[in-house]
Amino acid sequence: MEREVILETQNATKHFGGLAAVEKVNMKIYKGEILGLIGPNGAGKTTFVNIITGMLPITAGKVYFKGQDITGWPAYKVGRLGIARTFQIVKPFRGMTVRENVAVGAMFGHGGHKRSPREALEHVDEIIEFVGMAHLRDKHADQLTLPYLKRLELAKALAMDPELLFLDEVMAGLNTKEIESAMELVRRINERGITILVIEHVMKAIVGVTQRVFVLNFGQELAQGTPHEVLNNPEVIQAYLGEKFVERFFRQQKAA
Amino acid sequence: MESLQFTQGIVNAILLSGTLTLVAIGFSIVWGILNIINLAHGAFLMVGAYITYWLFTLYGVDPFLSLPISMAIMFLVGYAVQRYLINLVIRAPLLVTFLLTFAMEIVIINLATFFWKGDLRSVTPDYAGLGFTLGNVQIPYVRLAAFIISLILTGLLHVFMTYTKTGNAIRATGMDIDAARLQGVRIPQTYALTYALGTALAAGAGTLISISFPIDPTMGGAYTLRAFVICVLGGLGSIPGVMLGALLFSFIEVFSGIWFPSLKDAIALLVLVLVLIVRPSGIAGKAFYH
Amino acid sequence: MSDKEKKKAPIRYSPLDGLFKGRQGVLLGLFALFALFLAIFPLLPFASGFWLNTLTLILLLAAMAIGWNFIGGYTGYAAFGNVAFFGIGAYGTGLSMIRLGLGFFPSLMIGAVAAMVFAILIGLPILRLKGHYFAIATVAIATAMGEIADSWTSFTGGAAGITLPFFSPIEWSGQFFYYMAFLLAMGGLLLTWFILNRKMGYSWVAIREDEDAANMMGINTTWAKVMAFALSALMAGLAGGIYAYWKTFVLAEEVFKIEYTLQMILAAVLGGTGTIFGPFIGAFIYYILITLLVFFLPVGQLHATILGVIIILVMVFTPKGLMDFLSGKKKLSVNALLENIRTYRV
Repeated sequence: MEREVILETQNATKHFGGLAAVEKVNMKIYKGEILGLIGPNGAGKTTFVNIITGMLPITAGKVYFKGQDITGWPAYKVGRLGIARTFQIVKPFRGMTVRENVAVGAMFGHGGHKRSPREALEHVDEIIEFVGMAHLRDKHADQLTLPYLKRLELAKALAMDPELLFLDEVMAGLNTKEIESAMELVRRINERGITILVIEHVMKAIVGVTQRVFVLNFGQELAQGTPHEVLNNPEVIQAYLGEKFVERFFRQQKAA
Repeated sequence: MESLQFTQGIVNAILLSGTLTLVAIGFSIVWGILNIINLAHGAFLMVGAYITYWLFTLYGVDPFLSLPISMAIMFLVGYAVQRYLINLVIRAPLLVTFLLTFAMEIVIINLATFFWKGDLRSVTPDYAGLGFTLGNVQIPYVRLAAFIISLILTGLLHVFMTYTKTGNAIRATGMDIDAARLQGVRIPQTYALTYALGTALAAGAGTLISISFPIDPTMGGAYTLRAFVICVLGGLGSIPGVMLGALLFSFIEVFSGIWFPSLKDAIALLVLVLVLIVRPSGIAGKAFYH
Repeated sequence: MSDKEKKKAPIRYSPLDGLFKGRQGVLLGLFALFALFLAIFPLLPFASGFWLNTLTLILLLAAMAIGWNFIGGYTGYAAFGNVAFFGIGAYGTGLSMIRLGLGFFPSLMIGAVAAMVFAILIGLPILRLKGHYFAIATVAIATAMGEIADSWTSFTGGAAGITLPFFSPIEWSGQFFYYMAFLLAMGGLLLTWFILNRKMGYSWVAIREDEDAANMMGINTTWAKVMAFALSALMAGLAGGIYAYWKTFVLAEEVFKIEYTLQMILAAVLGGTGTIFGPFIGAFIYYILITLLVFFLPVGQLHATILGVIIILVMVFTPKGLMDFLSGKKKLSVNALLENIRTYRV
């Protein structure tokens, strides 16, 4: 059975000056899945998300969302169409309360046109509870700790009623217990029918929540497949851990 | 006649670019290292010009000899201003430092007008009007000297920033303040020193300008704006960038002065806005936002 | 969600902290009293020409500060050239009256619309700039506009300026301009309140706090910024038009003075940027401060120094404005005044 593609890139490319940050990436995201996007630092993961979501102009290639060509759309239009994202470096609206922060998503996101500010403020109660921040509802965002700021990022994105959600390293900087609960949260978001692309360095999280993994290296596709396949792919190991590590690894194996 | 005006214009522009480099370079290091737009820059320049004027008028000190004096005095003033005033709020949002330096400019200009009166004054050493002609082009000695001195001071600054320990500390602070602090750089003093260098260079420029042009207490504002345009044109953060920016700007200014004399400043300002919009990384292509 | 649950979690609708916090009711009442006093002021026996004149100036400044607050306070773009809109409003009104022979109100509309259109045209390119670059671009445009107005003699009258007809009946002139300024300032407050309760208000504050996030969350940031800029131009343009007819004279050097920009920013900063009443109250505080200092330091030529020293003191000690103290959010103390330095010094 052919699965429904929600987002597709064709030869997506981004150059900074002469530097290729993303080079001819063809990716398909299927409706309802959790796809992992991994790669070493500087592999172009965030840049890739930026060119899809319109945060950065794309150099070449095409982006389709549910069959519609959205290449070069400004970010706000992409957001209203039903694509939401979180930021690796959290971007709360510090002068607003948690409720106001989340309400901005409900006001301007997918489906925001039918809500007044007042309705949006009321609407977000459920989402704030969903991410476990009900007790912080009227706190200012600048009073939150990092784990909660990460959750706030999630809540703001969810309030936009997205069909597709990009999570850019929402688990970085969290401790083991916090990661567990964040993983649980990602699964529950997926259960609400939202397709998710997770960028993550925490391998446990990748293995734990994703069904499929896409690997970028030097801006190009290196591999894709199930988490198990990909993490046992020698090229991926080499890209991640570097040649020296691999040499040493084999030397040690020989010695043993 | 047209072509003579044209050649003379080119020579004038080149000579002007030396002084303007000096005007802009202090502004540029303060902006680059401290991340503030020093709107009082032109006011310090004006004070430098007046120091030269008074030394010449009251004590007959040769204006070129007063250069180190005006620079030294303004170095001390700048150090104190940064250390005991601007440092207090240096990390505040942009609006705060912007308004603060703007207010300093207002105070300095107003006090200068109050004590020295608002009329135009000139420094007139015996050699003021002398010059030589090259072909049909006239070259006044004082402007040539100002050009050369500007280049020497710019070169000295480059050497200081690149090869001395203090210069390196300043640059390190501009790149990464936390790393610099960990390396043992004393940030408040380094900031004060940077600002002092900026004001000293402004005062030096003021001295050189006072020999070629009449001065008055409000002369500075135009130079602050010129310094900004030059930094935008050349891109922030490099001495060659400032020199290139100054050269470009001098041509724009000299030739718009020939062709549209009444809109001289407006044209320079509109060029600024245009460059900001079209090429926000400066013509030299250096990183604009750091 | 059922009605019962809604009651359980009361929602604070204070739009983006715009209103007084804490002593909200009391202060709102005090403000209403003050507004009422201003509304009937010209009818009071001691309302001499001097007082009407002074209050008209303060209210015009308040109106411009309220306008500046849209772009500078709520949207967070340090606009330093709002005097350009004041000047365009003044010239637009004046020229419409003398060249087209229109009445004051249609001319005022023309002036204000001209200021808004100008704001939109320059806003589209320059609102892409950030921080210092935006600030200096606005300074540059305002200065250039002044120079152009000064040298375009055939259109603007150049250095001779243009002279407008007097308001008639002339004995009501003081009252007329007072009420124009009063209505403009009050209208500005209402406009602020109105916007803060709309999505526009949320988009402005979102842009101020994080423009990338705002954009990604579906806010058309370009549109929101241009609107903030245009509305601040509307306020300054209307103030400029009223000012022109009041003084019956428009001169480039006068109506494009950068000090005016400084005054509006200072009024907004003194009261508190990004608050509804801050700029309005700040305009009064500004005048009181200036007047007091002039009184105690009666050297006419040093007024600019006084202004400068006030700015320096405000920037060092209380750049967030006095609104926090007035509203009871913070206690006024030496400690509170030093807090700013503790936060931002190196």
